[in-house]
Amino acid sequence: MDTLHAHLEALFDDLELVIGWETGYEPLRPTPAFLRSREDLSRLVWNPLCAPNLSVYLPGILKDAKETGKKIGVCLKGCDSRSLGALVQEGFVERERLYVVGLPCPGTVDPEALAEARKSSAPVTHVSFRDGLLAITSRDGTEEIELERVLARRCRRCRHPNPLHADVILGDPVPPRRTEPSFSDVDAVEAMSLEERRAYWEEELSRCLRCYACRNACPLCVCRDRCLAESRTPKWTTQRDGVRDKFLFHMIHALHLAGRCTECGECERVCPVGIPVALFKEKMARIALELWDYQAGTDPAATPPLQTFDPSETGI
Amino acid sequence: MSEKNERQLRIVGFLCNWCSYGGADTAGVCRFKQPPLLRIIRIPCTGRMDPLFVVKALAQGADGVLVSGCHPKDCHYAVGNFYARRRLELVKRFLPFVGLDPRRFHYTWVSASEGQRWQEVVTEFSAVIQELGPNPGIGADTPMETAGQAASAFA
Repeated sequence: MDTLHAHLEALFDDLELVIGWETGYEPLRPTPAFLRSREDLSRLVWNPLCAPNLSVYLPGILKDAKETGKKIGVCLKGCDSRSLGALVQEGFVERERLYVVGLPCPGTVDPEALAEARKSSAPVTHVSFRDGLLAITSRDGTEEIELERVLARRCRRCRHPNPLHADVILGDPVPPRRTEPSFSDVDAVEAMSLEERRAYWEEELSRCLRCYACRNACPLCVCRDRCLAESRTPKWTTQRDGVRDKFLFHMIHALHLAGRCTECGECERVCPVGIPVALFKEKMARIALELWDYQAGTDPAATPPLQTFDPSETGI
Repeated sequence: MSEKNERQLRIVGFLCNWCSYGGADTAGVCRFKQPPLLRIIRIPCTGRMDPLFVVKALAQGADGVLVSGCHPKDCHYAVGNFYARRRLELVKRFLPFVGLDPRRFHYTWVSASEGQRWQEVVTEFSAVIQELGPNPGIGADTPMETAGQAASAFA
């Protein structure tokens, strides 16, 4: 973390803004930070609790940024960097206007798993991370918890802990947990019968509040205020609160991410009612992999498969 | 299909204006007998097909969705159906994951002169749908769907 501060400190004059994480209302909840002055840099934090994918802000910030010739600095984990790759591929972000600080990521924490793993429930005053152990300090003393025990689902299947497309990588490379794409959670759903699957999703989606947090946190949901889910003409979803409209909203999100999703898992992380919505997108990513051997965001020069075609394709 | 709950089955057909709509017309002009399940929506090109059309129709209880356009390499707009077949294949593979029966969705290519082939496509797909029976859709009769039930839930 000291290297991160020192590195950005040295570069700060050439940067318009640095996007990173700072401590939120408690040390367990780092929130995105937009740092415009040198003094603010000390607020930056980096640990396995820094879950938000900061590439979600890039299209908007670059659109509104003044052309000062200065770059915008952004801290990205491995999965976040794939989202950046996909945004570059689709022309939503100009890579040359960014200074990307890549942070090899040991994995991020699932807050619910952490709450269960902690013995104390006292407010946390300090968090640190070393050698796979989270040290969590509260007035009851310091507890050490293994990161592996409280890892988020998305991180258990992570293949890209080390950022791609970065200008600089700070920290030692992390060995990936998976070397091959892993879809075991998708497999678990597919092991059910068709009827069971329908019942499973009806049950899960019945909790959906249609708060659209999954959409807002998604780095590739770039329509923002013009989302199909809120359009009145055509009226894809109604104001009724039945499962049918909730389902349609999730289908809009999933189908609009077909062949684009980088599997950062933000949609699932931000869901306030814990619906495994990332599974829809993991299934999409798997189809894209099977049909076109395509992995979004890994090659900034590649064209997303649904924005192109191949006349010689047969069988479909 | 049960005798009691005998609802007329419905297939939604999305046909491209230039080939399959003409093919369906040819079949009609030639008086080829077809099952009466299909309701046709004319689209300018299969490239107009949003995969959401398929998902929404099936989620809301359409018993089948049939998409048909020009044969690949014969698209009126040269490449519309090349884009379409990628999207349609993707949605076909996605449907079973969310609990929708992929057999209820079929996409194919029929040219304007293939009246006979159109008859075969409609007959075969209608037979599949007859076999499968009514589609329950997704989220039908959710307790909160109707105001009366919602009120009783809070009573």
